[in-house]
Amino acid sequence: MAIVVKLDELLHAKRMTLTDLSERIGITLANLSILKTGKAKAMRFSTLEAICAELDCQPGDLLAHEADS
Amino acid sequence: MPADHSALMGITRALLWLILGLVAAAILFVLVAGGALAVAWPDIVVEAKKSGVFLDAAAMRPQLFALLALLLAILAATVDVLRQLQALVASAAADPFIPENAGRLRRIGWALVAVHLLALPLGWVAGSIAKATSKFAAMGGINLTGILAILLAFVLAAVFERGAAMRDELEGTV
Repeated sequence: MAIVVKLDELLHAKRMTLTDLSERIGITLANLSILKTGKAKAMRFSTLEAICAELDCQPGDLLAHEADS
Repeated sequence: MPADHSALMGITRALLWLILGLVAAAILFVLVAGGALAVAWPDIVVEAKKSGVFLDAAAMRPQLFALLALLLAILAATVDVLRQLQALVASAAADPFIPENAGRLRRIGWALVAVHLLALPLGWVAGSIAKATSKFAAMGGINLTGILAILLAFVLAAVFERGAAMRDELEGTV
């Protein structure tokens, strides 16, 4: 997938674990793991909004596009 | 699943088993009748002459064989329809929108097509037997409800295919 999810970096910068984020935004750990590992096929705007609000970031900080090699 | 739906599914499951049992009994009857035609034909002719059921019993053997063969094929197709329906009902309890169910519905559609195509020669054979005796009911032929059922099965197959694709899309959505 050419879209890279940089959730790990953002969490690291905020000194937060995936479990913390899951509890704060009410999205299951399983679903956040899917997102973090790049296995998600799509992302709801509501999820994007919740993560950006909690981590105080822009969608562009979370998602990046990398050309397929 | 709401309670009334699960009750309906329970009734459907029971009815499907009941119909399957009846069809199995019918298959057994056809096989026994076929065996009797093959083995005990002289006795059958004597009995038929005595009872006066057939005006010309001796000439009826090929038609009777054809009738039983067609009935057997129709019953076999019906068993396939019922088995597919059972699988559909079983999957409805968990997640019905899977690609397999689209395939099952399409298979039901084709089995119903086979039943209706077989019902045409069955009608002719039954007609030819009926001409020789008064004690024989009409069978087979075309019926509109059956054709509607075929269309319904194919339309539902297309709907399920789309549903399965949408489910697949939703599955990876976070």
